[in-house]
Amino acid sequence: MTETKNILKLESVSKIYQMDGVSVKALDNVTLAIMRGEFVSIIGPSGSGKSTLMHIVGCLDTPTSGKVLLDGQEVSQMTERQLAQVRNKKIGFVFQQFNLLPRTSALENVSLPLLYNGTPSSEIPKKAAEVLGKVGLGDRLDHHPNQLSGGQQQRVAIARALITDPSIILADEPTGNLDSKSGVEVMEIFKKLHEQGRTIILVTHDDDIANQAQRTIRLKDGKVIN
Amino acid sequence: MQLKQLIRVATKSLAVNRSRSFLTALGVIIGVASVILLVSVGSGLKDFITGQMQDMGSNLIMIVPGDIDIEGAGAGGEAASGAFSSITASKLKLSDAVEIERSLPQIKDTAAMVMAPGLASYKSETFTGQVIGTTQNYINIRSSEFESGSFFTESEVNSGRKVAVLGYTIAEELFGKQNPIGEKIKVGDYRYLVMGVMKEQGGQGSLTSDDKIFVPITTAQRQFGMDNVSLIFTEVSSSDEVASTIPLLEEVMLRRHEEEDFTVIDQKEILSTVSSILDTLTIALGGIAAISLLVGGIGIMNIMLVSVTERTREIGLRKALGATPEVILTQFLIEAVFLSVGGGIIGILLGSGGALLLNNFIPMTVTAWSIILAFAVSAGVGIIFGIAPARRASLLSPIEALRYE
Repeated sequence: MTETKNILKLESVSKIYQMDGVSVKALDNVTLAIMRGEFVSIIGPSGSGKSTLMHIVGCLDTPTSGKVLLDGQEVSQMTERQLAQVRNKKIGFVFQQFNLLPRTSALENVSLPLLYNGTPSSEIPKKAAEVLGKVGLGDRLDHHPNQLSGGQQQRVAIARALITDPSIILADEPTGNLDSKSGVEVMEIFKKLHEQGRTIILVTHDDDIANQAQRTIRLKDGKVIN
Repeated sequence: MQLKQLIRVATKSLAVNRSRSFLTALGVIIGVASVILLVSVGSGLKDFITGQMQDMGSNLIMIVPGDIDIEGAGAGGEAASGAFSSITASKLKLSDAVEIERSLPQIKDTAAMVMAPGLASYKSETFTGQVIGTTQNYINIRSSEFESGSFFTESEVNSGRKVAVLGYTIAEELFGKQNPIGEKIKVGDYRYLVMGVMKEQGGQGSLTSDDKIFVPITTAQRQFGMDNVSLIFTEVSSSDEVASTIPLLEEVMLRRHEEEDFTVIDQKEILSTVSSILDTLTIALGGIAAISLLVGGIGIMNIMLVSVTERTREIGLRKALGATPEVILTQFLIEAVFLSVGGGIIGILLGSGGALLLNNFIPMTVTAWSIILAFAVSAGVGIIFGIAPARRASLLSPIEALRYE
């Protein structure tokens, strides 16, 4: 297996937090690789380190030691400014809380990442409308989050994650705040995106959700256990 | 991220919180408007007074009672108030004026003055005006036009006759449409024969003749029991002669008075003293108003700090989606500057509009420097008071911010 097939590679990654003078090892020597186009779930109980892992994979945080290669780029030593640019280009976030801007239309919410990568402002609305169409919300462009159902809000968030054409879609409990019907709909979208060749990393504590992925990485006490 | 897009993001989030943005800007609006209004009052007053004084003519020299340090008057009010109190204890004499006219041929005209408030009445009509006792040359110095009749002459002054020349307002109040010439008015115990009415001058205070009753100085001294005069006016033929005449006047006066109980000043000196006093007043008024501008700035900082806390999740999200700390800093700074500059512009419009409106009632002059200053200060206020909240926003960790409830 060649390096280029791996979109993400973690080598001996550890993260140690200092809390009230006590060192807490949130990630303990984690090594893993995720291939381009893979649909992987990361599962573990709370306190297993999956949030920390997600933050490091999502370039929101840097590891205490070890290497993180994202799309062939070493990101573990980057400055905050560089990390922001990597997040913008390579990562599409989908959060449990949707994290849409209130009192702001679906179109503008989806446009948000493009504001930070120098896309000419004349092209932004067209692109945003296009991805909203892909998640089945082509007729909801001007709706504000409070006018949309939970499932629709999460689809807006997915559209926002897709708009920069990222290397990885990183979803953190994407169905955690949804009823089961909307949850199924959202998972269908992820499966469809996977079929289109996208790399998806889904973080969850729910086995049913995790099992819908191609592969499951189990975490416990900061270590990969399978 | 281009500045244009940042500006759009900032205006968008201000528009989302429309009423809060307006209330925040209101502090700056009021501050800027009051700076402009109060400075307009001050400079309007200055323009009005100096304008009226310039109408008096630039070849005028005055002798006022008391030894006044006229140069120092602008710096503090003390010397200026000294000038007022010394009028009551005047040591100037009518004979001083006569002597000046006699010994200094380059002086064209000399007039002495006494003043007293007086209730004038004609039949059932009354009016409280200012009685000015003066000499016949007064009318040459303060060249005023006549509605009807004429000013009194030397012989009437010398013999102390009870004749009066009325200002326009007094004549109108007492006589209405009736011709006052030849009628007798009562001022205190004295009955004066009206021999002239002046044309309307407009304006207020000591600079207009409208509410004055002019009588021979000798008559006024007798009626009010005075043996001094309050003021001596002299006029030289051209303003070039003013500087050379002042020492000659001082010499004549010193010869007649044992000590320097008088001050010789020209119109230019009075003008510069008055305008420096009024400048100080304008700056003081502007300074008071500037405090409210400062309070407005603190209001912006307060709301921006609240806004950063309230929008912690938004900031975290923007950072997660690729906003660098600099971009977040700039966004919040732009919001603060927009609030203060927007408030500043509205304040300038309200302040200058209000000043132009009030100009119909009291003299107001909107000065360019007060507008420029108010605008610059409001922009500065936005930057200074916006930096702390914007910095706080830019330093938020995206992880903590996203977790924030």
